[in-house]
Amino acid sequence: MRLTRIVSALKHITIVALILLASTVYAHDYIPAVQQSQPILIKGGDLQTVSNGVMPQTDLLFENGRITAIAKNITPPEKCKIIDVSGKIVYPGLIAPNSSIGLTEIGAVRATNDRREVGGINPNIKSATAYNPDSEIIPSVRSNGITTVLVVPGGSLLRGQSSLINLDGWTIEDATEKASLGMHLNWPKASISTGWWVEKSAEDQKKDMAENRKLLHQLFDDARAYQIARQDNPEIKKDGRWESMIPVLEGRMPLFVHAGDARQIEQAVDFCRDLKLNMVLVGGTDAWKLSQLLIENNIPVIFRKVQSLPAREDDPHDLSYKTPALLEKAGVNFCLSNGSATSVRNLPFQAGQAVAFGLSPEMALRSITLSTAEILGVSDDLGSLEVGKKATIIVSEGDIMDHLGHRVILEFINGAEVDLNNKHKELFEKYKHKH
Amino acid sequence: MSQTSPQIGMRDKTPKARAFINARIIVSPDETIENGTLLIDNGLVVGVGENISIPDNYFLIDLNGKSIYPGFIDPYTEYGIKKQAKVKRDRNHSPKYLGDRTGGNAWNDAIHSEKNWSDQFQPVKKESDKLLKLGFTTVHSVRKDGIFRGRSFVTLLGEGLPNDLLLVPHGSQFLSFKKGNSKQDYPESMMGGIALIRQMFYDIDWYQKAHDAHNKNGNQQFPEFNAAIEALANVHSEVLFFDGGTDVHSISRIARIAEEFNLKFISLASGYEYARMDDLKKTGQLLIVPLDFPKAPEVKTLEDDYDLKLSQLRHWETAPGNLARLEENGVKFALTTSRMKDTDKFWKNLRQAIKRGLSKKGALAALTSVPAQICDLADRTGSLEKGKLANFFICDGDIFEKKVDIYSTWVAGSRNEFQTIPMTDFAGNYSFRIENDSFNFILTGIVPSVSGTLEVGEWESKLKKVESDQNKISFAVAIDSTEGAGLYRFTGRKLEQKIIGQMTNPEGELTDWVATYVGPSSNDAKDAEEDNDADEAKDDDAPFFAHLTYPNKSFGFESLPKSENVLLINGTVWTADEAGILDNADVLIIDRKIAKVGHNLTAPSGIRTIDATGKHITPGIIDPHSHLAVSGNVNEGTHAVTSEVRIGDVINPDQINIYRQVAGGVTACLSMHGSANPIGGQCQAIKLRWGSSAEEMKIVDAPIMLKFALGENVKQSNWGEKYKIRYPQSRMGVETIMRDEFQAALEYEADWSAYNSLSKKNKSQTVPPRKNIRLDAIVEVLHNRMLVQCHAYTQAETLMFMRLAEEYGFTIELFAHILEGYKIADEMAKHGAGGTTFSDWWAYKFEVYDAIPYNAGLMVERGVLTTVHSDNADLARRLNTEAAKIVMYNDMPQEEAIKLATINPAKQLGIDNRVGSLVEGKDADFVIWNGNPLSIYSRVEETWIDGKNYFSIEKDSLMQQEIAQEKNRLIQKLLQQNSSDTGSSSKKWGEK
Repeated sequence: MRLTRIVSALKHITIVALILLASTVYAHDYIPAVQQSQPILIKGGDLQTVSNGVMPQTDLLFENGRITAIAKNITPPEKCKIIDVSGKIVYPGLIAPNSSIGLTEIGAVRATNDRREVGGINPNIKSATAYNPDSEIIPSVRSNGITTVLVVPGGSLLRGQSSLINLDGWTIEDATEKASLGMHLNWPKASISTGWWVEKSAEDQKKDMAENRKLLHQLFDDARAYQIARQDNPEIKKDGRWESMIPVLEGRMPLFVHAGDARQIEQAVDFCRDLKLNMVLVGGTDAWKLSQLLIENNIPVIFRKVQSLPAREDDPHDLSYKTPALLEKAGVNFCLSNGSATSVRNLPFQAGQAVAFGLSPEMALRSITLSTAEILGVSDDLGSLEVGKKATIIVSEGDIMDHLGHRVILEFINGAEVDLNNKHKELFEKYKHKH
Repeated sequence: MSQTSPQIGMRDKTPKARAFINARIIVSPDETIENGTLLIDNGLVVGVGENISIPDNYFLIDLNGKSIYPGFIDPYTEYGIKKQAKVKRDRNHSPKYLGDRTGGNAWNDAIHSEKNWSDQFQPVKKESDKLLKLGFTTVHSVRKDGIFRGRSFVTLLGEGLPNDLLLVPHGSQFLSFKKGNSKQDYPESMMGGIALIRQMFYDIDWYQKAHDAHNKNGNQQFPEFNAAIEALANVHSEVLFFDGGTDVHSISRIARIAEEFNLKFISLASGYEYARMDDLKKTGQLLIVPLDFPKAPEVKTLEDDYDLKLSQLRHWETAPGNLARLEENGVKFALTTSRMKDTDKFWKNLRQAIKRGLSKKGALAALTSVPAQICDLADRTGSLEKGKLANFFICDGDIFEKKVDIYSTWVAGSRNEFQTIPMTDFAGNYSFRIENDSFNFILTGIVPSVSGTLEVGEWESKLKKVESDQNKISFAVAIDSTEGAGLYRFTGRKLEQKIIGQMTNPEGELTDWVATYVGPSSNDAKDAEEDNDADEAKDDDAPFFAHLTYPNKSFGFESLPKSENVLLINGTVWTADEAGILDNADVLIIDRKIAKVGHNLTAPSGIRTIDATGKHITPGIIDPHSHLAVSGNVNEGTHAVTSEVRIGDVINPDQINIYRQVAGGVTACLSMHGSANPIGGQCQAIKLRWGSSAEEMKIVDAPIMLKFALGENVKQSNWGEKYKIRYPQSRMGVETIMRDEFQAALEYEADWSAYNSLSKKNKSQTVPPRKNIRLDAIVEVLHNRMLVQCHAYTQAETLMFMRLAEEYGFTIELFAHILEGYKIADEMAKHGAGGTTFSDWWAYKFEVYDAIPYNAGLMVERGVLTTVHSDNADLARRLNTEAAKIVMYNDMPQEEAIKLATINPAKQLGIDNRVGSLVEGKDADFVIWNGNPLSIYSRVEETWIDGKNYFSIEKDSLMQQEIAQEKNRLIQKLLQQNSSDTGSSSKKWGEK
């Protein structure tokens, strides 16, 4: 039912329709897109440029994977494929900045999980190493308009390096946007847990927390000792872990600090300021309480989950829903994330939910596109519809952030048209035959 | 002394007769003799009164106006029983399904009612001394462990042979909901504990009948011997004791059991009684209240505030007033030191409770006459009337008023002395001379806490190292005289109006000195005491800030919402019924019901209208699969079959997520047992009547649903290495264990009908079948009287269960999650099973790897009654947009999609006769949205249940302000009490 509707919507663009139909023949092996070989003109859509507002009924041309023109009535170059999207909305591809896609397939099946390494000191592991481009989760996420994800390793303390991946490609090498984008650190817990299941007393918890902070400081001391020793004598014996920390200590690689509680955030900000580290805050439950601190120190926030319960009993029921609005009002630089793997496909609705609770619709869209690209340091290539940026573009029948409008009908990654089929559509189609 | 023990050594024949004269005698809570005489002999009170004659052979003790109080009785201790090490249990330990069987004990190690704890009793001096010093003479004792804890005893404190000390060797049976140190897995939940208790009480009846019948007719299989059951044989004529911990709802829960089995309970109080006083009063129980108040929450730094809950701050401020509230409400109670981490706080806490309104009389009764009655000893102790045990303590004045010394505590006429009664009063002004210098010194306080200053003209110095005992005093003074500086040390005895003694100067030269009393000290004699009582006093002068709400935490109501008659006009009304979505429509609410839905309705005069222009009105959201409002573990995931446990027994109406879900438009849900075993527990449909009691939340007459589960959870696939021994470990075994249970239930039912068809005479000679509440539930299922909701994922197991049900003649009402429902939708529809599903969850375990977000839409298309559910406290708040996902994935029409979260779940839960759609006659459960309820951009503006407004954005934001304000005031108060140096500067901020 659904597929025929898509086809009928595109009936005058035979090439596109053929690709979609072809994919159903190949069952589970969605063929990665072919590199863009001819100019493509997306015609007559309402462009949500993000960087330059909404441009109604405007054409967008891209060649060799990059946007080359945005204007009304562009004259198509030679051999140009033209896709009429009148009445549809064109967006930059959505970016999910805190995901484990490709590192996990089935949560409870150990063999399918490469989410985290053992031990607390793993700065030298890199998520791209284990990313599985054939994960069934990938097509299910990209068919909802998410084109790019930051794949982040899990872990207890120093988790490792994240990789920016686009959700298409034969191999991880095809899919990699940036193999080592940032270093990830879990900030030691700073709040007291209560509840019938909690065994440790508040006092013991406080002791543990102090111990963990001490460990963290020691860890960075060790890394710096190595950095200094190496500067003086490049021939010293190589420590793979501390070697990986050098770009972080030199401020070349951002340190993504995963922290929610205000105390953690404050500690982390001070820590990074002292060591002149380039910090990005991930999680940020209490970030709204510390907006001034974050702004003064120029620290962006990847707010983890709009659709979640408030952290504390006395909090307003809608605190997570309205946190993005609070951050916007305070002027904090932020973007949104959602879930780790399968639920990344609901990223746009996190933004929509925040709109219901006060976030401006413009900022909402920005927080899943351009702000994210800026925070990840890839806004030269991604995040908005601008000439010169990568042609990573989606087209939806309606408002991408509302379930009632969200219908992704076209998607390009680096100019190549992506198969929107997925395991779920396949199974749906298959079982239609049964009934 | 024990009469049966042989005499070793010399016999003790010291006379025991004592006469306490010139005493203020508190005979009982109702009678005080200001100046009287108490006669004791042979451990008993022989006489008490104002003007009684003292026989010749009595040894006189002149108390000079000191007070005698009846000895206190602690009705709940663990005194004299060896302590156990705490047992730890977690998933790293192997499960233990069978109990340790010895001597005909019960199957479950948490049941040890056959234990008589007096068998193990030995006096423990250290503990005894601690209690004696507080004025206690008698304790009621039992090991605080297990569900059926065994039989208590009552003993005197002090040293001696257990034979002489035990007043009641075989006391009462104690119960709790917690298995304590039992290493056995079952029960792992509170509802499991309750089920175990209920089954036990049925077993007691059965056991009696079974053995009676067997005694009459030995020609049949003999019923088992069970020591634990036999120990409870007289349960209906005894009073039982119950310790429900600090959960405010425990007493209501045990009261339901008391009602079911016609039992009498005395319960331990939670300390939170003030928060649910009406519930408590309904139980009519006598309470034992721990004199334990919460420690002041820690607020060292501003950041500590983040970990503080308003509820915690409120309890800190309110708890000391709990006893006064109980008294005001006519609840009878005794006090205990139980649960007090630090018994040194006993008197401080008691006086604090009195300052907060507890009457002194009530306090005394709670420590004497009431616990005496509780221990069944009212005729022997609890007051100082003639003939009772000579249990009392002597102290210096009104001990309920202020801190006074306890000199001695007498147990059955034996003295335990802590300090001798001071016969000397040092307080006063004294003058004396050393060589040519004249000195004055002023003494205040009473022995042994005397203090004072030395004055010479303008100069004064505090006395140091003051020691006083009986009529002796010694102290030192630092004197910086022209002859040299140093400490002058004094020692002296008070003899009539003089203190006579010796002193040394800094050089060590010894001189005699005599000081003469010249008059009372001008200083307030209370100074010293006030120092001691400073921390006691601090609390009570401060104003109170804590509110009392229902429930007593953030977002609770000061008073519960009242039903209103209202007319909603000109809204977009989503009826979730045949009428579909009505534009510009009105809804009339009268007497908690929907009176009319339509266009241009006119309001009866005087009722409020709500302008719903631009708004959308839907039925309240109903969540058919939730674990909301459950106390403790939602799983009794120990045995493969636990159909005896009931969520309805453990509804927790205080969870903040109830309010949060109301704010998301949820008005009702099925609160469920988890999926840890093939046959779980009985679920409970509730309305989210925030603020109500547990009972008031239940939907009256809603069908009970029994939780079944299939697949990975029940075969323990993801439980870790230790969990590989419980049957079943495969989907094959899931079928067979269910079949086995169904078959057993059928046969059980047949046994009962055979038995029930016997004549009365034959019945009395036939061992009856044992009532089995686990099988009772299955029998209900087999007759479709109890509905089935089954957690299922894959198609094979789902088909299996439908076929099994068909074989046994019942219908499965509902499959939950059912993420492969799309594969077998036709089969489900044919069977008559509904499906409630996650909109788009998948891949979290292998059995959901084929889950698709088109599932709900396809099931609807194939005629399966379908809903979206939460299974998650957060997701429940967005079931509207969960339904919108089906619009997104399946192009479902919006008026159908809303049904996935309203009328369809109502039907699945069998409550659609009263809720689920906006049609005349149904309960007025509805939600007002500021836009299309399926749009992500819409939010709930108001939620109504039974024609009562439980949530509105305005009320909510007002509450937020109030919470912040109240919390801040409480923290301020806490800070002021915690720090002694606030206000140390006399200057105000900004002054120069």
